[in-house]
Amino acid sequence: MAVSGFEGFEKRLELQFSSHDPVLGIGLRELDFKSLEQVLHQVQCTVVSALGNQHFDSYVLSESSLFVYPTKIIIKTCGTTQLLKSVRPFINHARTLNLHLIALRYTRGTFIFPEAQPYPHTSFHEEVVYLEDNIPDDLCYRKASVIPSKLTSHSWHVFSAGVVEYPDDVPYTVEVCMTDLDQTLARKFFRHPNDGMNGDSAGRAMTELTGINRINPNAQICDFAFDPCGYSMNGIDGDCYSTIHVTPEDGFSYASFECVGSAYNDMADMVKKAVKVFGPGTVSVATTNAGEDMCMRIKGAVEQVGLKCRSCGIDEVPAAGKVVFQTFTSRRKRI
Amino acid sequence: MGAQVSTQQRSSDHGEVLSVHSLDKWNTQFQNSKTSNKLMVIDFSAAWCGPCKFIEPAVHDLAVEFTDVDFIKIDIDELPDVAKDFDVQAMPTFVLLKKGKERDRIVGVKKDELHRLIEKHRF
Repeated sequence: MAVSGFEGFEKRLELQFSSHDPVLGIGLRELDFKSLEQVLHQVQCTVVSALGNQHFDSYVLSESSLFVYPTKIIIKTCGTTQLLKSVRPFINHARTLNLHLIALRYTRGTFIFPEAQPYPHTSFHEEVVYLEDNIPDDLCYRKASVIPSKLTSHSWHVFSAGVVEYPDDVPYTVEVCMTDLDQTLARKFFRHPNDGMNGDSAGRAMTELTGINRINPNAQICDFAFDPCGYSMNGIDGDCYSTIHVTPEDGFSYASFECVGSAYNDMADMVKKAVKVFGPGTVSVATTNAGEDMCMRIKGAVEQVGLKCRSCGIDEVPAAGKVVFQTFTSRRKRI
Repeated sequence: MGAQVSTQQRSSDHGEVLSVHSLDKWNTQFQNSKTSNKLMVIDFSAAWCGPCKFIEPAVHDLAVEFTDVDFIKIDIDELPDVAKDFDVQAMPTFVLLKKGKERDRIVGVKKDELHRLIEKHRF
């Protein structure tokens, strides 16, 4: 393991809003670009590419992704970004559109380089204190949870808060974190010097070469390749997003796959295809509000690609439901 | 460059993006494209789409830079049938037409790629 390097593990923030107005319109999508850029500036990231459809807008950022639905914002950033600093500004901007926060969820894995993280991300405790101080009081159902695995390098951290303890209509989300990527596969995410391409065309080439476009063939993909290496993509399919981010360097290689579940996609199959793209030595899968059947199917799918489930931890959090955290390592490894 | 200037008056010769709001207007533009050598870039967008608003200034800059290319903007809510004809599923979608035939397309905000493809197809 390298002494220091780029932190691939993301911090993910989901903000759910509600409107006072009888007619919602496009809600948060009304936010002008200057306002969004202002918030992103506070988090130290910028927009690299974007794509939208009738349901939501998606943005590929310099350090991950942003999704804007009429009443929901999902922002996921890696590196040493101060993601939680976006909470206050998002709440304030939403208020100008007569939208108020009704639920918040913050999740992340375990940082590879925790000492490199700035305030308030120096520890989970500090993150929780920051969140408690910055969310409205009426989000009175709150819980912070750390779900361990048998590996100290892989735990799952969740903070969830809401005005209602058990809301209806919570979609299920799957967050997959992969480390120790197969180096031959990871090499596909390096730019070639003098390839005559730009970040857009190189990104498209990587999407096709690695088969990422076949994970969900129905999705419209917005991709980008960073120089000298690294890759990000957002997929949009109806009202569901998927997103992949890759840090391919040996020593701290990392890839993530995240997707919202729906009746129309085969989540277990998508997770299996995503894992096959990277050939990781270790995989963690965190699901929020997925049924037991779905968790078992995902487990089965990952075990079909050379990995074995080593742990399964479960916790229940307000406003989001059951969180299941499973870890897998390659069959050849011994813990 | 002087030899390329057409004597026909088209508003996009002034480096503007022409917003097309009616089917009649679109049919005229499409017919024009079929009978000329000019590259036409169609920007399919929607008023409620954040990414479309994000790339708007860049499209205007491209229209100014490439005065020998026709830039057309179509709102998919105003002309849903045209959007359907071109199989637009996400926005922004840029379709590059020459002689009425699609040569290339870009889905999403990809400024560098749009610049590259316009340069590739303009002559």
